[in-house]
Amino acid sequence: MQNTFIGKNPSVLWFLLGLSVFTVVVTLCSEALGADIISTSFLKTLGKTLCLCLVAIAMDVVWGYCGILSLGHFAFFGIGGYAIGMWLMYARTEDIVVASLQNATLPPTPDEVTTAIGSQIFGVVGSSDFPMIWALSHSLTLQLLAVVLVPGLLALVFGWLAFRSRVTGVYLSILTQAMTLALSLYFFQNDTGLRGNNGLSGLQNVPGLEAVSQATLSLWFFWGSAFALGAGYVLFAWIVSGKLGSVIRAIRDNEARVRFLGYHVESYKLFVFTVTAMVAGIAGALYYPQAGIINPAEIAPIASIYLAVWVAIGGRGRLYGAVIGAAVVSLMSSWFTGGAAPDINLGFYVVQWTDWWLVLLGLTFVVVTLFFPKGIGGVFDLIAKRKGDTA
Amino acid sequence: MRHAFLALMILMGSVLAVSAQTLQPILQTHTDEIASPSRNSVSVALDDLVASGVPQVTDFLEQWVERNIWQRDDGVFYIAVEDGDELTLTDIDTGAQSMAPAAGFTQLRPNGGVRRVIGTALVQFQLLDPDLTRRETAVASIARRPEAGQLAPLLASIDGETDAALKARKVQLANFMSARFADSPADRIAAITSLSADTSVEARAVLNQILSTSSGVAERAPDGNIAMIHDPMLDPEASYGLLVEADLAPPRQTPSDIRTTLEANIDADTIAGFAVAEMNDPAKREAAYAALSDAGLAPLLITAPVRDAALSAHVFYDLYDEDDVEITAAASIALRSVETRVSTAQAVDLTLDALSLASIFFLAAIGLAITFGVMGVINMAHGEFIMMGAYTGFVVQQFIPNYTVSIIVALPLAFAVTFAAGVAMERLVIRHLYHRPLETLLATFGISIALQQLAKNIFGTQARPLTSPDWLAGAWVLNDVIQISYIRIAIFVLALIFLGLILYILKRTRLGLEVRAVTQNPGMASSMGINPDRINMMTFGLGSGIAGIAGVAIGLYAKVTSEMGSDYIVQSFMTVVVGGVGNVWGTLAGAAMIGFGQKGIEWLNPSNTLAAQTYMILFVILFIQFRPKGIVALKGRAAGD
Amino acid sequence: MTLRTTLLTSMSALALSVGATSAFAECAEPIQVGVLHSLSGTMAISETTLKDTMLMLIEQQNAAGGVLGCQIEAVVVDPASDWPLFAEKARELLTVNEVDVIFGNWTSVSRKSVLPVIEELNGLLFYPVQYEGEESSRNVFYTGAAPNQQAIPAVDYFLEELGVEKFALLGTDYVYPRTTNNILEQYLQDNGIASEDIFVNYTPFGQSDWATIVADVVALGEDGKQVGVISTINGDANIGFYKELAAAGISADDIPVVAFSVGEEELSGLDTSDLVGHLAAWNYFMSADGDANAAFIESWQAFAGEDRVTNDPMEAHYIGFNMWINAVEAAGTTDVDAVRAAMYGQEFPNLTGGTAVMLPNHHLAKPVLIGEITADGQFDIISQTSEVPGDAWTDFLPESAVLTSDWKDLGCGMFNTETETCVQLTSNY
Repeated sequence: MQNTFIGKNPSVLWFLLGLSVFTVVVTLCSEALGADIISTSFLKTLGKTLCLCLVAIAMDVVWGYCGILSLGHFAFFGIGGYAIGMWLMYARTEDIVVASLQNATLPPTPDEVTTAIGSQIFGVVGSSDFPMIWALSHSLTLQLLAVVLVPGLLALVFGWLAFRSRVTGVYLSILTQAMTLALSLYFFQNDTGLRGNNGLSGLQNVPGLEAVSQATLSLWFFWGSAFALGAGYVLFAWIVSGKLGSVIRAIRDNEARVRFLGYHVESYKLFVFTVTAMVAGIAGALYYPQAGIINPAEIAPIASIYLAVWVAIGGRGRLYGAVIGAAVVSLMSSWFTGGAAPDINLGFYVVQWTDWWLVLLGLTFVVVTLFFPKGIGGVFDLIAKRKGDTA
Repeated sequence: MRHAFLALMILMGSVLAVSAQTLQPILQTHTDEIASPSRNSVSVALDDLVASGVPQVTDFLEQWVERNIWQRDDGVFYIAVEDGDELTLTDIDTGAQSMAPAAGFTQLRPNGGVRRVIGTALVQFQLLDPDLTRRETAVASIARRPEAGQLAPLLASIDGETDAALKARKVQLANFMSARFADSPADRIAAITSLSADTSVEARAVLNQILSTSSGVAERAPDGNIAMIHDPMLDPEASYGLLVEADLAPPRQTPSDIRTTLEANIDADTIAGFAVAEMNDPAKREAAYAALSDAGLAPLLITAPVRDAALSAHVFYDLYDEDDVEITAAASIALRSVETRVSTAQAVDLTLDALSLASIFFLAAIGLAITFGVMGVINMAHGEFIMMGAYTGFVVQQFIPNYTVSIIVALPLAFAVTFAAGVAMERLVIRHLYHRPLETLLATFGISIALQQLAKNIFGTQARPLTSPDWLAGAWVLNDVIQISYIRIAIFVLALIFLGLILYILKRTRLGLEVRAVTQNPGMASSMGINPDRINMMTFGLGSGIAGIAGVAIGLYAKVTSEMGSDYIVQSFMTVVVGGVGNVWGTLAGAAMIGFGQKGIEWLNPSNTLAAQTYMILFVILFIQFRPKGIVALKGRAAGD
Repeated sequence: MTLRTTLLTSMSALALSVGATSAFAECAEPIQVGVLHSLSGTMAISETTLKDTMLMLIEQQNAAGGVLGCQIEAVVVDPASDWPLFAEKARELLTVNEVDVIFGNWTSVSRKSVLPVIEELNGLLFYPVQYEGEESSRNVFYTGAAPNQQAIPAVDYFLEELGVEKFALLGTDYVYPRTTNNILEQYLQDNGIASEDIFVNYTPFGQSDWATIVADVVALGEDGKQVGVISTINGDANIGFYKELAAAGISADDIPVVAFSVGEEELSGLDTSDLVGHLAAWNYFMSADGDANAAFIESWQAFAGEDRVTNDPMEAHYIGFNMWINAVEAAGTTDVDAVRAAMYGQEFPNLTGGTAVMLPNHHLAKPVLIGEITADGQFDIISQTSEVPGDAWTDFLPESAVLTSDWKDLGCGMFNTETETCVQLTSNY
C-alpha cells in the first residue's frame, strides 16, 4: 500500500527529502546553535513561510484539485491564529496576575484573579469584562481543539449551505469573499471581545517557556512548521491520489457528469472544503506565535486573494506548485517591499520597488493566468515529461 | 484687594465722568478680561461697556468678534487689518488711521464661547439696526442663548421688521420665548399649545426646558409639582446609590472595601477567628467581615435585605423645576404630540437615508449589472474603474477651477477614460478567457491590484478632494428632522437616469438587441451577421464607462482614495447577485434591499455602524443560500446554465 | 519633486549615513539610530514625514558635532504598515543592525507589536504620537500626548469655555477612540454630565455615509442643551463627516467639534472650507509664535520642501531626539540602561514655549493647545495651558486609578498603590 502510494506520488518522497535537508541546514545555521548565519528574525520568516506553504497546499487541493476557488481560506488560517492566540494571551497574563497577587495580604478569590486578568487583557481597549468568547481560553487543550474545530465547523456549515443550494463557480467565490469580509469586520469590532483592531499581541512569548530564548523557541516553531508541512503534504497527496482523488478531480472537470454517475458530489466537496479549512487553521496556529501578533487586518479579503495568487503562480493542481508559489512569492514580496531590493534607475524615473512591486505582481499574475495556467510548477512537469521521454 | 477695587471704581467713575464719549479708557480698566477673555469672566467687561452708552461700543464688539482688535504691547487696543507684516490701525475712538509693524501687537482671538456672549450683548444694538445682516445676527444670537430679558425688545422689533423672512423668524422666536418667559401663565400656555405641531429642534428644546426636572430622594414626597415617583426596586443598586449620595444611607461595601477592612484586622494568621489562608473564598471573606462587624471593628455589612429596607423607607421622585401644574401639563401634552410627529418624521428621514444609500450601491453596481449581469463576465477591477473615474474628476478640478464647469467636463471625460480602459482590458485579457470564468476573476484581480498600486504611486495614499459646486452644497430641508443633502439627491437622480438609460439601451436600441442576442447565443448571433467581438467590447466598455461616472459621483459625496474601489467591490457584487444576475431590475432590487437592510440594522443598534455592515453581509450570504438566483430570478432559457 | 525623488532614492538604502565622515576621527564606529516608520502602505502618508524629520534632526546633530564625538547614522527600515512586520523589523534593527535607539511607530497596534521585542532585547523606543495611555514600558518613552494631555483639557474647554452640556463622542472603531472615549465618559460623569447626555458612536475606518449620524447629533439638541462633538474620527473618514455637517447647515457656532486626530498634515491639500471654526487639540501647532518654532519650520521647509507643514508628532520627535542626545551626553554612553537613567528629569524647550520635562513615568510634561481651523489649513491657537504632566494610567477609570508608573524610584511601570505591589515589569501588550 505504502509502496504504491509513493510509487504513484514520487514527488512526495522528493518533497520530504528536500524539506528535511532544508530543515537540517537551517538548524545548523541558526543562532540557537551558535552558528549566527541565519538571524532569529530571518529564522522566524522562514518558519512563517513554511506555514504559508501549508495553507497554500490546502488552497491548492480545494481549488486546483476540486475546482472550488475559495476566497476564504486565509480567514480560516486567521481563526486558527486567534484560537491559539487566546490561550497564549490568557495563560501569559494569568501567570503575571497570579505572581503579582502572590504578595497580596489575603489570598485572592477566583473572582479577583479573573477581573485582574480581564483588566490586563482588555484594559488597552477600555474594558475589563471577560467576553463569552474567551470562556475556554484557560485551557490549552480546548483552544488547540478550537484551532481545528472552529474553522472546520465554519467551513462545514458554510459549505453545506452553499453546496446544497448548488452555488458554484464565481458565485461561490464571491460568496466566500463575502464571508471573509464579514469575518474580518466581525473580528474588527470591539464588541466581539477580541481586542478589535489591536488584535492579540505578544504571542511569541509562550507561557511556561519564559526561560527559553527566542532564538531557540523560533527554532522549535520552525521544526513544528516543517513537520506540519510535511505531514500536510503527505495527507493531501494521499487524498488527491487514489479513487477519492479521481472523484475530486472529476468534480472539478465536470460536476454534472459526476453527479449523473451517481456520486454525491456535495459530500465530496464538503469533505475537501472542511479538511482544507482545518489544515489552514493549523497552519495559522503555527504562524502567529512566530509573527507575534494577529489582528483583523490579517484576515481581510485581500489576504485570501493573495493566497490564490501564490497558488496560481506556483502552479495549480500540483502540490509542490503551491509550495513553490507560496515560498517564492511571499519571500519575494518581503524582499521587494522591505526596501532591500535595488532600485532601477531609468534615467528619467527611478523605479522604487516598494512602490512598484505590487504593480509587477498584479501584472505577472495576469500574464500567468493568460499564458501559463500551469504556473512555475508547469516547468517541473516539462522536465519530468522530458525525462520520461528519454527514459 | 478691596482698596484696589475701590480705586478701580473711582478711576472708572472719573473716566466716565470726564470723557463719556471715549471707549479706550473703559477698555483699559478691563484690559485682562478683554485681552484674554473667558466665557464666565467677560460679562463683567461687557456689562460695563454696554452700560457706558458710548456709541463706539457696537463697532468695537463687532470687530472683536471678527478678530480685528489688536492690542499694542503697552496695552492700547486698536482696530487693525493685517497686511503682511504691517498693520493698518484704526483708533477706536477717533477713527484715525495709521500703519505700524505687526511685531509690537497681539491679535485678540475670543473663543467660541466668548463670541456667543458678545453676540448676546450686541443684540440690543443690532435688533433695530438698518442693516439686515446685523439684524439676522442678532436674531441668531437670541436663538442660541435665549434670555428672559430679550423677549420684550424682540416683540417690540417685530412690527418694524421689513424683511418678511426675518419677520417670520422673529415671530417664531418670540413664540418660543413666550412659552418660557411670558409673564402671564395664560400667554405661556397659549404659546406652548401652539408648539404642539412644531417638530423643530428649537421647539422641542423649549418644551423640554419647561419640563426640566430635578430628581431627589426623601422620606416623604415633598410639596411641589411632582413629575414622577420612581419605583426604587427597578434598579435597586442605582437607587441605593442615590440614597448614599443624599447622605441618607451608609455606602455599600465593595469587595475591595471588604478586603481592605479584613487586611487591616489581620491578627497573626487569623481574621476574627478565620484563617487568612481561607480568604480566597468570597463566602468566608463575608463571614469574617460579619464577625468583625459584630465585634464593632467594622461598619455593618450592607446586604441585599438591608439595602431593600432602606430603599422602601424612602421616596424617589422627579420634581418639575416649573411650579405651575397647568403649564407643565400643557407642555407634556404638546411634547407628546410633537414626539409622535418627530418619530414619524424620523422614519421618513431614515427612509430617505436608506434610499440614498441604496442609490449609491446601485450606482456602484450598475456597471457590474451590465458586465457581470448581462455579459456574465466577472470583473474584479470594477472597483478600480470607479476609482479611475473619481481620480479623473480630481485631475479635471486641478485644471478647471470652476466647480460647475469641471463637473460638467469630468462626467463625460470619466466615462471616456474608463470606457477606454474597459475596452483595452476586454481586448487584452478578458477576450481570451470567455470560457474560463474563474480565471477571468483571477486575472481581473491581478489588474485590480496593479491599478490600485498605480493610483497610489501617482496620487499618493492620502485622500484627494473632489469638491462639489455650490449649488450642490447644503441640504434640502423639510424640517429639522427630515433633510437630505443635495449631493445625495443628485446621486439618486443620476442613479435613476442610468437605470432609464440602460433599460433603454438594452430594450430599445439596436445595440441592446445585439447584446442580448450575443449573451444568449453567440453562435447564432454571429450567424445572423452580428459581430460578437465588437458587441462584447462595446458592452464591456459601456459597463466600465458607467463605473467611471459613478466614481465621480461617489467621489463628490465622500472622498477620492486609491482604496475606494475595494470599499465598494464586494458590496457591488452582492448587490448584483442578491438582486438576480442578468437583470437590471434585479440590481435595483438588490441595492434597495442592501441599503434598507443596512439602515434598518443601524437603526436597531445606532452606536455601532460596523456591526450593521457585518450583519448585513451575513444576511446576504444566507439569503443567497436560500435563493441562489436572487430576488428577480430569470426563468426559461435566458437563465442559462 | 526632485527633492522628493532623491529622498525616495536614499530611503531605500538599508543604512543611510548622513553628514561628513572625516570630522569624527575620534570615534571608531558611528552611533546607530533606528528609524522604524512605514514608508509604504496606509500609514506611509503620515509616517514618511516623521522619517524625514528624523533624517533632518540627525543631519543637524551631525553638523553640530554629533554625540559623544561620534557621527550618528540613521538606519531606516520600512515596516510597510504591516503590524507583524513592525515586530520583525524591530528585531532586525536591534540584533542585526545593533542600533542604540529606535525612533518610530504610529498607531497603538504597531507599538503593541514591537513591545515584546524591545523588552526582550532591552531596546529603547521613542513613540511620538498621541495615544490612549494605559500602558507603561520600561523601554519606551512616550513623547506624544497621553489622554490627560489632549482629551481631558479639550473637554474642560468644552465645559468651561463653550458651555457644552451634551456630548457626542464620535470615533473610528479602534483602540485609541475606544479607550479615550471610555475615559472621557467617566470624566464627564464625574463632572456632572448625566450618562444620557453622552452619545457614543463608532464607525469603521474610511466611513463615508454620515447622514444618519449627523442627524442623530443634531437631534441631541432637542432638550435645549448646548451640544458639542468630541471627535476621534481617524483619517479619510473626517472628510465625509465635515462635508455632511456643512451640508446640514451646522456651523462651529451651533455644534462645535473638537478633533484629536486632525492636524496640519491631514489638512494640507484639502478643501478646508467646511472645517473652518471647528477645533483641534494638540501639544503643538505650526502657527505657534516663537523663534524656536520659526527656526524649526524654516529648517524643515529647507530640508523637505517649501510647501511642507509641521505637525505635533514632528515636535514630539524633535523633543525626544534632543532629549536622547542630552541624556547620552550626560550618561557618557549609549548603553540603554544608563541612558534611561539619564533621561529622567531631562528638560528641553518646547517649540510652543515653555519647557518639556521627561517624567519618571516615561511621559513628557507639555502644554496643551486648542486651535480653531482656519481656511488655509492652519490653526488659530485660542487656548494654551501651562505644562501638563502626562499620566500613563488614567485617574478616571477605577481599574487604572490605583496604578502608577515610576521607573526611576519604584522601578515599576504598573505599580498598584493600593496593594503596594508591582503588577508586572513587562508591559501589558
